[in-house]
Amino acid sequence: MNKEEILKRMGKAIVEGNKDETEALANEAIKQRLDLNEVIDKGYVPGIEKVGELWEKGEYFLPELITSAECMKGAMRVLQPELEKAQISAKSKGKVVIGTVEGDIHDIGKNLVASMLAANGFQVIDLGADVKLEKFIEKAEAENADFICLSALLTTTMLGQKKVIEMLKEKNLAGRYKVLVGGAPVNQQWADDIGANGYGENAMVAVRITKKLIGE
Amino acid sequence: MFGPVEKIENFTVEFDEKRILRLIGYKKRPTEIKEPIKSLITEEKEKLDYLLHPASIYTIVGYDETNKHLIFKDAEKVAICICTIGPELEREIKKLMEKNEMTRALILDALGSEAAEEVAIQSDRILAEKAREMNLWPSKRFSPGYGKWDIKEQRFIFRMLPAADIGVRLTESCMMVPRKSVSFRINFYKEQKLSTRRHSPKVS
Repeated sequence: MNKEEILKRMGKAIVEGNKDETEALANEAIKQRLDLNEVIDKGYVPGIEKVGELWEKGEYFLPELITSAECMKGAMRVLQPELEKAQISAKSKGKVVIGTVEGDIHDIGKNLVASMLAANGFQVIDLGADVKLEKFIEKAEAENADFICLSALLTTTMLGQKKVIEMLKEKNLAGRYKVLVGGAPVNQQWADDIGANGYGENAMVAVRITKKLIGE
Repeated sequence: MFGPVEKIENFTVEFDEKRILRLIGYKKRPTEIKEPIKSLITEEKEKLDYLLHPASIYTIVGYDETNKHLIFKDAEKVAICICTIGPELEREIKKLMEKNEMTRALILDALGSEAAEEVAIQSDRILAEKAREMNLWPSKRFSPGYGKWDIKEQRFIFRMLPAADIGVRLTESCMMVPRKSVSFRINFYKEQKLSTRRHSPKVS
């Protein structure tokens, strides 16, 4: 199989949600000593972009998106050790610190957003659920992050999103990070009221907004 | 100390396919669910036999035994109920997420939500029937966090019922663990009201 064919099949495997194929092709790329960043950019990324387009057209739904994101993650798991060996860092669109705020143990929605962001080229640091509010800022500072994503599934815990934004202001860090909010009780009005930079109604919209905020 | 408490465990949970598809993100149903999603749904459904442990616990008390919150006003009696599907399904979701099996996790989460709702519906029916047996008019069921009943009123519910008997606990922020649990109350009235159901009591 030549390089062009490998790249073409990579995109197709992502679109079809074929995990075994995406991982097998990653191994093939390593075996053939291909430029791994090129493999990601020209093989897998067009696939994940196509998936996004199909979702926008209403042809793909959340399960298809997530399956493709899983494929991307699987491929990256194969490629990452090789990239590290060669001391090449995979291209990142930005660093995201994400978690569900303190007092809230819901995590599936947040995990879906984390998966979709990772699949779309962002470096994701997932703090989990029930995360102390100050930890979001500490981690963002320590990792020199670009985004803080705050998930909340309850009307009581969504106040934590507001508090993080207030804490950033108190620490003179307002504007240093783009803050995105999401979760069942959250809406654009809430995001505007608390001064968040964006609101993701669902995982794909979260990706779209995050990309927009980096000028894509 | 708890008042008289009843436990129900013999639930048969059935699923509405359309609702499951909506819950996992098929807002308008596609003409055909394609592979690999189709197989994933089938495989996750098959796990439910050993992952679901539905149970509910309830008590029916007089108005004076409640905390006399405004929402109980005029009620002759109040039924308080907690339902759950047990912790196993959530453990499986966690395992799936750790293994990068997010689509399976999403499907199982939807099945769990639907199962918890089904246990609540069936418990609600039983309690509405109890009201009728008492010659009273049952209201619809209401859960804390909706309308004028603050989420913090979960604490009242958990004071009224030994929730640990069905393996449910309340966190400091008033969330139930396992998450796939539902708590609610039904007011039983002497007279028919706008908020009561249409069916008349058995003895009228």
